[in-house]
Amino acid sequence: MPRLRSLTMLVAGLLVAAACTSSATPTPTLAPTGGGPTASVAPTGSAPAPSASGPVNSGKIGGKLVIDNESGSTWTCQFNPFNPSVSITSVGFIYEPLEFVDALQTAADGSNTVTPWLAASSSWDSSYTQLTFTLTDGVTWSDGQPFSAQDVVYTFQAMKADPAIDINALWQADGGPLTGVAAQGTNQVVFTFSGPAQTYFYYVADQTPIVPQHLWASLDQAKLDQYADTAPIGTGPYTMANCSQDNIQYMRNASYWQSKPGHPVPQIQELDYPAFLSNTPANLQLAQGQAQWGAQYIPNIQSFYIAGDPVHRHYWFPATLDVSIYPNLENPLLNNLAVRQAISLAIDRQSVSQRGEDGYEPPANQTGIVLPTYQSWYSKAADTTTFDTAKADATLEAAGFTKGADGIYADAKGNRLSFTIKTISGYTDWDSSLQVIQQELKSAGIEISNILDEDIGTYTTELQTGKFQLAYAEQTGGPLPYYELRQMLLGANIGSTDYSRYKDATTDALFNSYAAADAAGQVQIIQKIEGVMNDDLPVIPVVEGVDWYQYDTTAIGGWPTPDDPYAQPPVWAVPDNGVVLTHLFPTQ
Amino acid sequence: MSFVVRRVGLFLVTLWAALTLNFLIPRLMPGDEATAVLAQFHGVNPAALHALEVEFGGTAGQNPLVAYVEYLGNVLTGQFGLTATRTPVIDVILQGLPWTLGLVGVTTVLAFVLGTVVGMVGAWRRGGWLDGLLSPLLFILTTFPVFFIALVLLYVMGVAWHWFPISSNYSLGSTPAPTLAFVWDVLAHAILPGATLVITTAGTWIFTMRNTMVTTLAEDYVRMARAKGLPSWRIMVDYAARNAILPNLTGFAMQLGFVLGGSILVEYTFSYPGLGYLFFTGTTNHDLPLQQALFLFYTLAVLVCVLLADLATAWLDPRTRGA
Repeated sequence: MPRLRSLTMLVAGLLVAAACTSSATPTPTLAPTGGGPTASVAPTGSAPAPSASGPVNSGKIGGKLVIDNESGSTWTCQFNPFNPSVSITSVGFIYEPLEFVDALQTAADGSNTVTPWLAASSSWDSSYTQLTFTLTDGVTWSDGQPFSAQDVVYTFQAMKADPAIDINALWQADGGPLTGVAAQGTNQVVFTFSGPAQTYFYYVADQTPIVPQHLWASLDQAKLDQYADTAPIGTGPYTMANCSQDNIQYMRNASYWQSKPGHPVPQIQELDYPAFLSNTPANLQLAQGQAQWGAQYIPNIQSFYIAGDPVHRHYWFPATLDVSIYPNLENPLLNNLAVRQAISLAIDRQSVSQRGEDGYEPPANQTGIVLPTYQSWYSKAADTTTFDTAKADATLEAAGFTKGADGIYADAKGNRLSFTIKTISGYTDWDSSLQVIQQELKSAGIEISNILDEDIGTYTTELQTGKFQLAYAEQTGGPLPYYELRQMLLGANIGSTDYSRYKDATTDALFNSYAAADAAGQVQIIQKIEGVMNDDLPVIPVVEGVDWYQYDTTAIGGWPTPDDPYAQPPVWAVPDNGVVLTHLFPTQ
Repeated sequence: MSFVVRRVGLFLVTLWAALTLNFLIPRLMPGDEATAVLAQFHGVNPAALHALEVEFGGTAGQNPLVAYVEYLGNVLTGQFGLTATRTPVIDVILQGLPWTLGLVGVTTVLAFVLGTVVGMVGAWRRGGWLDGLLSPLLFILTTFPVFFIALVLLYVMGVAWHWFPISSNYSLGSTPAPTLAFVWDVLAHAILPGATLVITTAGTWIFTMRNTMVTTLAEDYVRMARAKGLPSWRIMVDYAARNAILPNLTGFAMQLGFVLGGSILVEYTFSYPGLGYLFFTGTTNHDLPLQQALFLFYTLAVLVCVLLADLATAWLDPRTRGA
């Protein structure tokens, strides 16, 4: 029937024409990635932003803050701060650490800015094997009980009793340096370590939430990891008022210890933390102005988000880690230094940043130091990062490789420089970056034969066991370049985070001497390691990973900004989220 | 009676085979729970792997035969353990169950009714607009991938025209309560995923119904009824359709069994927190207890429905009882 046929064609045509979005592809909120070469500025956006002296804090209490972070599943209404699946909803809001270490702010000597929190001060002995904290006065739990040294001692002893909650592997039995914790007097706690443990300060002071002994001591101590903690009691600025699978509601803790007469803390009365299963609804929530604190990856953020209200809507993507190509050094071709040098020379990092990451993630440099965040650790002299395809050709030819008829170099035995690269399925921006890298390497005579997207669990296992040729990956890092570099390069980390399987006695010795060195000594050690990165190229950083962060100043002020990076801004960064909450105030 | 006994026996044997496969398949997947959980949560110290291995360690080094016997025992006593996030599996499943049953169950029924009615009327009035236009259209729509239709509806009606909400089962911030406003909210959120499911499955019922109807309409008793002067619609519904619907009915009963599996792609596209979505997260998290429990419920539902479909057919149509 001609009438039916043409009608059917029309309908089919309409359907095909209407189908063009693909924004439902999951892009999990990434951990910070990558850095920049020279003093590049981390991407920020909005209309000419008000300067640091923006809205003034009038000391009022009120307002509501809606958080926008795609967590990938509905809430289970558990708040155990030692359970990594749920700790982002309890640490910072409800549970607090001893001291706050700011990963984004370094002093002139390169060390992190440390803010006293539950501990008013701390000091090391001369050998860095004993750490004494003096606790803050006047801290109470949200149920009214006073906070004391006993709670701190109990928390760490509990981690010893149940290794499943020792998530930073601090105790000696779990592979860490901690040998003892004891109260001293009424308000001091002493930690003893088996060796110089300066580098563990971050994990002890900033990354361990303190829990109340009077409630936790009565539980089964061997099964604390399974404790649901559905009615959490902490020292923090908020209490959990209401929880359903779709939303957690927090209310201001009226008796929070940081409040002073005339200076109430916190000032935002109510928080809502909805659960989002995928990025699309989370991004739409931000675009429609229904949420104020975002931690989302938003493609085309200018037109999608900022355009809605250019005066009040802002974004800032601070760089904290490197996203790098990890060559498997057990592969005979990749073990050849010339090949790695050629790969690094052939990649135009600026182009990868622009075309692969929309310019959100600045180009990285071969020293592995993330800029501008860690400028004081960077050694320009050691940095040999260049984009030079001709030099890449020259390097390979000098090493005995010849270009075949297909344009790909091969060695004397005929082994072509053709590799597969593994990445995480769902990280669409990494996929775009890898396609740019693939094109660039091809023009230099190196072939990426396949970009393998894998489920994150499988991918991690394969990287740990060395079942790959090239991998695109990032580390977890820490508050200083030492942590990321050590994860990448320490020989003992082969099988866990040293994906390249690099091992060198001199480099190991450098890392092992860091914990006992003073501030200036530590900078020298890191600069020597930068030399290793440039000479040996065990890892090839491409771009710097960033924290996704959006904020709306219509009704709330006090946000972390590039001028005032007092904390890592995304809501999932703990305990930085708690620090941000103590700074926010209502502007209306 | 021996028919029933044979069918129940077959059911039990198939159930045992399904349970064994449910035990084996998740364990054959590469990767392990501890690494998967560590990889999922950024910002977690890689040293946490040790703590996580202690937490999930029980399953790793176990003798498979011992684990199998333990698994069968747990299944029979209803103990499903804790998920990777330390929540009781049964709680997580009960959270998602009503939404999947509601969305997929209701749409399966609707699709069946729509398809069967269109097929029935189409056969009665062959060559009319219904038969000529609607049937082929619905049939074509079943050939489209379900995620494609979902994305089209999502974009056109949700994002571009703002007619319906684009995700979740009810509005953020509203608490479930038996009020009209909440019911309306839930329905509004269910329309797009529901429409996707109905559109892509209705067509499958049409042609079986239509073709069986056409054969039935040629029967002598239908001609007799017409000669006797019964109204057309009554012949169509009470005589022809009743006989023609049998094959469709057994298919429908089996389809009901598949409801529990949810429609993973639709639930994922619309972020609808049902069992299909749980399947997805359970698999990506290598969440062994959750996967096993979900597979169990799913295969049990399918097997039970197949059994009921067999029994229903035997009851409705005595000719099949000999089999």
